[in-house]
Amino acid sequence: MNIQAPIRLSAAEESLASQLDSVGAEGLATLVRDKGLPTRRVESYHYTDLKMLLNDVPPLASAAQAGGAPATDIAGAYRIVVANGIVQNSGTAPAGIAVGTVEGPVMASRDDLIVSLNGALGKQALGLDLTGDVDPVIHVDHRFEGAAAHVLSRTRIAVAAGAKATIIETVSGSDAAHLGNLATHVSLGEGAEVTHIVVDMSALQARQFSNLEYRIEANAKLKSVMINAGAALARAQVFADFVGEGAHSDFLGLNVADTDEHRDITLDISHAVPNTTSTELYKQIVRGRGKGVFQGKITVVKDAQKTDAKMMTQGLMLSDEAEILAKPELVIYADDVVCGHGATCGDLDETSLFYLMSRGIPRADAEVMLIRAFLAEIVDAVENESVSEVLTDIVERWLSKDV
Amino acid sequence: MSTPMLEIKNLHVRVEDQEILKGVNLTLNRGEVHAVMGRNGSGKSTLSYVLAGKDDYEITDGEILFNGEDLLEMEPDERAAAGVFLAFQYPIEIPGVATMTFLKAAMNAQRKSRGEGELSTPEFMKAVKEAASLLEVKQDMLKRPLNVGFSGGEKKRAEILQMALLAPQLCILDETDSGLDIDALKVVSEGVNKLRGPDRTMLVITHYQRLLNHIVPDVVHVFSDGRVVETGGKELALELEAKGYADFDAETAA
Repeated sequence: MNIQAPIRLSAAEESLASQLDSVGAEGLATLVRDKGLPTRRVESYHYTDLKMLLNDVPPLASAAQAGGAPATDIAGAYRIVVANGIVQNSGTAPAGIAVGTVEGPVMASRDDLIVSLNGALGKQALGLDLTGDVDPVIHVDHRFEGAAAHVLSRTRIAVAAGAKATIIETVSGSDAAHLGNLATHVSLGEGAEVTHIVVDMSALQARQFSNLEYRIEANAKLKSVMINAGAALARAQVFADFVGEGAHSDFLGLNVADTDEHRDITLDISHAVPNTTSTELYKQIVRGRGKGVFQGKITVVKDAQKTDAKMMTQGLMLSDEAEILAKPELVIYADDVVCGHGATCGDLDETSLFYLMSRGIPRADAEVMLIRAFLAEIVDAVENESVSEVLTDIVERWLSKDV
Repeated sequence: MSTPMLEIKNLHVRVEDQEILKGVNLTLNRGEVHAVMGRNGSGKSTLSYVLAGKDDYEITDGEILFNGEDLLEMEPDERAAAGVFLAFQYPIEIPGVATMTFLKAAMNAQRKSRGEGELSTPEFMKAVKEAASLLEVKQDMLKRPLNVGFSGGEKKRAEILQMALLAPQLCILDETDSGLDIDALKVVSEGVNKLRGPDRTMLVITHYQRLLNHIVPDVVHVFSDGRVVETGGKELALELEAKGYADFDAETAA
């Protein structure tokens, strides 16, 4: 028997437990009181110790109106605003898009406190049912407004068999120390083709959790892009399950971090059936005392023969005090698979810098060209031009920031 | 007499613990084409990198004057803006940087440093189109990332294209003939010859005499063991081709 001494709860843990009490989620409240927030002893939180990093939890958000213009405006997109977790008037939906609200958790229950918190504390979810060839880009504009609040925002997207869609979700809002917890579940029916992008642009004093979950059926094609470009502490979790043969997915992502920011993308992909393929490309760029974390886990179950999965993570460190942590992990039970992973990390290439400078381009400009080049692979992967432009803008904004 | 364009005086250069250049003296006047010949490892490429301003080289003695000014005090981009251009032996591939974006950035950076305004897009496009047709550089190449997926010959043509667009005063061609077949060699040489003029000086570094059939030099220098061991007219190249480098090595030893 394992006898545990009662842990000393932090202020953040106390607040979480009482928020859970207030919605009647006693089981989870007890769990928080017993175990607290995940520490570095929990493997998937090893580099993002929430007991250390999450100092306080602001009060649960109350309904709010989205303030002002969107943080990013995507030309021609159909925009749906979700303010403090509540779906706002979304106007008339274009053909192929059915907009509604869904009660209850959107993600599968799993052994993860952050996902469980979203399930227990969230009020309603935006529900999108997509059919046919959905023409406009769908922009889900998550706004965290007003004074610092604990905001749960959720989306459940069901893409019908054979349907095609591009969906971008952005997180932005008032300049306050929010604690955001986003959960999105995307199910791809047979043969569906989906590009799904999530960009965190929340305030720099905010703390943001983004949780993405994909269920990928036979012959479907998914491109998933996660960009952490906001918040003092940002942690994104990407879960994906291949459940039908012949499916392919490209998983991409980017952490940009400077000053004292901490940005984490943790990936957990399961190839659960034979004949599915995936590529994973995650990049991190850090400067100042910024810290970037990437953990990528790919599991291939025993019967999932002919799985082909290639994971790559690349880091660019622009200061001596910045930090990049990368942990690729392959767990393979099948014996006839092609799986690989690679990781690189370093400074800008001096030879390339010299080449550019030898043509008259000053060092600072040459550096920006090379940084842009490093990021281009992620941004250019998005085929829709107006979305790709928006991502370029976000990257440019980060590059032009004074540090 | 007017100031030479380039004066290299007693240049000594080390890389880590090894002395590569051991007292190079060269004077290049305006409008002249000089060839530097020498076997592999004689220090020819080191000289070209030192002129362009690459790090990793320690100048232990000597000086380099460009139009009378201390070249060694200048950063690589400042040298380029002042009119120095190195056509690389192995041009660098830079994925993610579009060739056209790079060309425009380079041209405008140099214009800016001279106090000139930026090129308009039509002006830029016109300049590139003209230079490209001269060097048989296809539009498709210009659409690719910088040097990525270019063949050896395409890379060399792209270097000369850059040279034509940037219109430098001093062109350093480092083994521009390596990796070129006869046809490509002709195209590149014609491109270089079109750029010859009374105000432009060229330093052509090569291993073989054949390039000098196409780009006929005014002066030929033989390089051996980190210094110039012989200087002569264009006939020196032929002599070298016939006799090999061995005789010149003996002179070094003597």
